Amino acid sequence: MNFLSPIGFAFAAALPVVVGFYLLKRKRVVRVVPSTLLWQRFLAENQANSPFQKLRNQALLWLQLLLLALAVLALARPYFSGTTGKSSLQVVILDASASMQATDESPSRFGRAQSEAIKLIDGLKTGFGSGDQQMLVLVAGATAEVRQGATSDRAALRRAVQAARATDSSTRLGDALRVAESLTRDLPQSEIHLFSDGAGVDLKEFEQHDLPLLFHRIGKRSENAGIASLDVKISPEDPSQRAIFTSVVNYGIQPLISTIELRFNGQLVETKPITVPVGTATPLVFLAQQGEDGVFAVRLPLADDLLADNEARAVSLLPRPIHVGLISRGNRFLEKALAASSPLVDVTVLPDYRPNDPRFDVTVLDDVSPGFWPPGNVLAFHVASTNWFEGPISVIDSPAIVDWRNTHPLLRFVGFDTVQIAQSLAVKAPGWGIPLVDSPSAPLLLAGELGRQRIVWVGFDVLQSTWPLRLSFPIFVANAVQWLNPATVAANRAFLHPGDAIRLPLASPPENSSPVSRLDHAVLLRPDGQKVTLPIDPLARDLVYASTDIQGIYQLSIGTNRTDFAVNLLDANESRIQPGDALNMGRRGDVLPASLKRANLESWRWFALAALAVMALEWWWFHRRTA
Amino acid sequence: MNALISADLLRRLEQLQLLAVRRSKSSLKGERRSRARGLSVEFADHRNYVLGDDLRYLDWNLLGRLDRLFLKLYEEERELPVRIFLDASESMSFGFPAKFDFARQVAAGIGYVALCGFDRVGLTIFPDAAAQRLSPAENLTESAARGALRTVRGRKSSLGYFQNLHALHAGGAAQFNPALKRGAMEARQAGIAVVLSDFLDPDGYEEGLKALVGRGFQVYAVQILAPEELDPSTFGDLRLVDSETGKEQDVTFGKFRLASYQASVAKYVQRLREFCKGRGIAFFSVSSSADLGDLLLQQLRAAEVWG
Repeated sequence: MNFLSPIGFAFAAALPVVVGFYLLKRKRVVRVVPSTLLWQRFLAENQANSPFQKLRNQALLWLQLLLLALAVLALARPYFSGTTGKSSLQVVILDASASMQATDESPSRFGRAQSEAIKLIDGLKTGFGSGDQQMLVLVAGATAEVRQGATSDRAALRRAVQAARATDSSTRLGDALRVAESLTRDLPQSEIHLFSDGAGVDLKEFEQHDLPLLFHRIGKRSENAGIASLDVKISPEDPSQRAIFTSVVNYGIQPLISTIELRFNGQLVETKPITVPVGTATPLVFLAQQGEDGVFAVRLPLADDLLADNEARAVSLLPRPIHVGLISRGNRFLEKALAASSPLVDVTVLPDYRPNDPRFDVTVLDDVSPGFWPPGNVLAFHVASTNWFEGPISVIDSPAIVDWRNTHPLLRFVGFDTVQIAQSLAVKAPGWGIPLVDSPSAPLLLAGELGRQRIVWVGFDVLQSTWPLRLSFPIFVANAVQWLNPATVAANRAFLHPGDAIRLPLASPPENSSPVSRLDHAVLLRPDGQKVTLPIDPLARDLVYASTDIQGIYQLSIGTNRTDFAVNLLDANESRIQPGDALNMGRRGDVLPASLKRANLESWRWFALAALAVMALEWWWFHRRTA
Repeated sequence: MNALISADLLRRLEQLQLLAVRRSKSSLKGERRSRARGLSVEFADHRNYVLGDDLRYLDWNLLGRLDRLFLKLYEEERELPVRIFLDASESMSFGFPAKFDFARQVAAGIGYVALCGFDRVGLTIFPDAAAQRLSPAENLTESAARGALRTVRGRKSSLGYFQNLHALHAGGAAQFNPALKRGAMEARQAGIAVVLSDFLDPDGYEEGLKALVGRGFQVYAVQILAPEELDPSTFGDLRLVDSETGKEQDVTFGKFRLASYQASVAKYVQRLREFCKGRGIAFFSVSSSADLGDLLLQQLRAAEVWG
């Protein structure tokens, strides 16, 4: 039994007062009567009621103490966890997101959620007959996982709850709620118990769903600062240096005045002081030399409520020259733009591509259909003779640019406001690519990944447009080289959030070799020191590992090749650990913490009823003596 | 006098006469038939003349007819002693009107009827005057009144009787039983005994009443209770002080306990009534606020105390 308002026990101080009243003499009105003879029976009774400083064992005293004790118990609002009425199926969802690691509850929010869930399990009505209740345990971490199927076995449910661990993932309750909804859809007497801090939860997608949701809010306060972003780039000023961009958010109640450390492969490189006002993010840039491939880590040496967001890592590989092959009949705009796109770019101009030509990191096709299709990533201008598109390819004259997607990395800082085009190819948008620039009738610029090849397709000849004369053109070319550069792709692939799958493309075996000649397994070393052996399917094109529930460096070794993957929380919403007052369900309204719902589970009414019964008994007792 | 009893009531009382169940045993002459032979108009018997008898009582007709000397005997008419035991204890001073006032009125009424019937009225007032905390002057007056009330006879004495009754005060502890026992022993002839009291003596009333009955008195017990005693109006946490004994007792009393109290009083009265009935005592229980005329003219008449 627990109490919702333990402060109600303060009223227990009234118990000694009652005893005190019995110890005190009553102040009486003195009245002279002819004779006390007629009052004898009242006198006899009242003598027992006059303790004269000495407490007597009286039934009335005990009844009144019992009455008061019951009233105090009722005021403390006792409840029995899990006595949730007649629900036949209860779905327990444990929020295992990173914010649940916060230590404002003891031992942590997740630990508290576990103990609350176990109380619910303890209250499960089990036994034979129709009153049997079943429970199901879902853990919503990086993925929603059914830890225990519907059962009445309390021990199994307890084990499932106790075995659950909080992850470093962002809050992803949607999947778990969808699972719970599908399980409870046809059961009118079912309940979904969500144990969560409600931080960063958005359930607007469930606004049309009538979820029997009970929100058990965990967490007390928000005393946390964390690293919200991390990026490592070649320093624009000095290509030999790395610029480490990071930002620190402060969701505490006081301004953060601390230091932030930068480490490379575990070695302290630099420490900077940092001041972050309450509720804001402060950006920070480190410049560091890098002599080898390695891991940059930034760390806030703080002991706040949530430690998971105090450190972030990024795998940084030494920059390698980008070999760009420009297959063109001559386009000086493009040549210059490519040469200026990056200090590491090495541009080779060819009129055509042949099998003996070197393999380029990025091949640019400028209004040329090569005799031999180049491997690797391709930036194609006005190229029609490909197998990328379905259906006929037509030509449109003077297409107007009506929209472009500048949120895409390719179009960062790129605008088409003043660009006119004389003529363009009109294709139907393929499934592999997304249109980034649109005319009213056809996409003008597509980007996507086909097989393992990244393709950027521009439908018009840049020389048939005003684009090369605009500032946006070299920026676009620089963005395209960056996006198409295999090293960037690998770097992006190595930068993950918890729950994202580690995906490593496997080299295609040579045509004449047997599939079995490839290594048959890979070894993954997780941040927690655990070694996982991953079998490699001979026919698989990628090696995938999805259990990235904790953040850190995952080292994947295939033979002697080692690839590092950095998994980081880097979620400002997750760093904001302020427990949510309610779950936002969109137009449906908010789901308040379960204290309101739990009122149904409370037993204060029974105690109040018992107190009433005792009061009636006391009344009767008092009058029985006088009747 | 008027303070005690109204003139109208007196006029109606004059028409009444005490009814004695038994023949008077008094030695003094009066208007009551007795077993004694004496001078009256009621013929009783004849007896043989013996030397020295008064020749005036010879039955001359029998002498002429039988030539023998017979003496005519007549019933002697004697007085009926009426002894009134008046409780003048402190408890009688309570009530509105006071129980003692009502008791004196009853005493006055009964005494007046007795005096009108040429009976001797003796008033025994208990406790003694010494038990009452009076000033010397009051004590003197009280003692004189008590002395005068000890024996009163004749209708002409009624005025003094009323005045002396009026001069009495209530006070002190009752001592009911000793007072009645002493009264029973002191009486030379038994007659009618009227006990006017609230019968609220901690030592009980049984011994005193038994003594009167045992002495041969025809006993009438009139219990007078104050309205406040029958229907108390003071509630709350009370410390009750017994007016006679000074004993203190704590009581928590509320309206919800009124019925219980009234049942308690009724039980007490019923026990007294049954005690009286078992010993041939006529019992009356009245409130001091009751109508005096109703008691004297209706209840006592109905009980054949007088007719």
